[in-house]
Amino acid sequence: MRPLNLVAFLLFLAGAVWALTRSERAVREIQTTYYQWLTPFLSAGSSMEVKARGFVDEVHHSKELETKLETMSSEFDRLRLVEAHAQDLEEENARLRRDLEFQKRMDFKATAAHVIRRQPTTWWQTVDIDRGEESGVSLHQPVVANGGLVGKVDRVGKTGVSSVILLTDEACQVSVQVEGTVEKGILSGQRGQFEGGPRLRLRFLSRNARISPGTRVFTTGRGGLFPANILVGTIESVIPGPLDSEALVRPSVDFTDLSTVFLLPAVTP
Amino acid sequence: MIRYSLSLFVLVLLALAAQQFIPALTGLYNARLLLVTLVFLCASVTVGPPVMLALAFVCGFLWDAQCALGPTGGDPEIYKYPVESLRFGYSILLYGVIGYLMQGIQPLFREGKWQFSTALVGISIFVYLAAEYLIINFVRGGFVFTEATLYQIAATSTLTMLFSPLVFWVLFSIAERFGHEIRFEGLKKKQRARRRSIA
Repeated sequence: MRPLNLVAFLLFLAGAVWALTRSERAVREIQTTYYQWLTPFLSAGSSMEVKARGFVDEVHHSKELETKLETMSSEFDRLRLVEAHAQDLEEENARLRRDLEFQKRMDFKATAAHVIRRQPTTWWQTVDIDRGEESGVSLHQPVVANGGLVGKVDRVGKTGVSSVILLTDEACQVSVQVEGTVEKGILSGQRGQFEGGPRLRLRFLSRNARISPGTRVFTTGRGGLFPANILVGTIESVIPGPLDSEALVRPSVDFTDLSTVFLLPAVTP
Repeated sequence: MIRYSLSLFVLVLLALAAQQFIPALTGLYNARLLLVTLVFLCASVTVGPPVMLALAFVCGFLWDAQCALGPTGGDPEIYKYPVESLRFGYSILLYGVIGYLMQGIQPLFREGKWQFSTALVGISIFVYLAAEYLIINFVRGGFVFTEATLYQIAATSTLTMLFSPLVFWVLFSIAERFGHEIRFEGLKKKQRARRRSIA
């Protein structure tokens, strides 16, 4: 090996060791600085995605209209467009009302946030939301949607973009209880689940747990991360083991259709 | 050479910004175009080991800054078995490994056979993702390697590989602009000797 290459290799190793030995706090600071620089691109990327979706919808709509152009007058077409637009507005209105109603139903203060990016990393199940430190977002803040628990805040952005780790990720653990029973356990996502409906893994149930499929699962409020009595999902099957039992849980939230989420106040242990 | 090397670092930063606009293809096992990795791999075959290692450090560092998960948190009395996260900085080493892999076929690339490098880009990304996933398995325990994971790795590698000729074209353009010759030293000497013999 040439001396220059050897020196470069040793420097590289030293740099890698330096990075690997950074403390959790130092890593967070690096990430904060990194995302501060990246926020304009993230915001631009998000708005482009919205525009692209709008364009695709528009193209689809145009094709529908094209087939009717032969039989309808131009005035009728115009009215059809107006009607379609009104329908879109009506649907949007209904969705917003539903979200608002959900917010009203909550007996605690919730902050609404929009999902601006899904699955930004290769292996982790996370989404980015358009709220940051300026909106009072804090680390590990619980995140819910109309169906139930979504996850928790994993990274707080200083200027508008934070990251939420979803319930479907293996690293997001939740203390839960099975409705109508004394069974309590720890729920988390499963590794390597990407397509179809993800199933959550509920561990540490008692050996002879008597749970029937379809029973609902709620948060216990223990562990200092999530408040109690938030719906998480329903039991799909129970797998008995020699020491304890496990169950597969179908999440109550459709993670493929997350557009608006709500941040609950952080739990103080 | 220096101007070309510096432009590679700028290119990596641009790729990192562009990566934010590239979504995961949910219909294709969450496969995505790994633009930063692609630019690194293509660039690493056009430079010597010192620049390649510097690029590997920058790419790995920035990639981990983007992807590292935070602490799991919660009461350890309740959450007795927290899921381990990968240490910040592991990507630097992985980038170094795949960079050396690309350097292995540098002589072929400098002879003008860039097709081999294109194929190796796909292989390198496959190795990178597989190694990353195996490290996750090792750190978290319990070996899980589903069919969906294999398809995700394969689809991501193939998708990224398909874009490598475009990146090579960009690199050749930059090299030409900055007067950097991507050619094997040995070949240069041979050509010089041939010219002399003709003269």
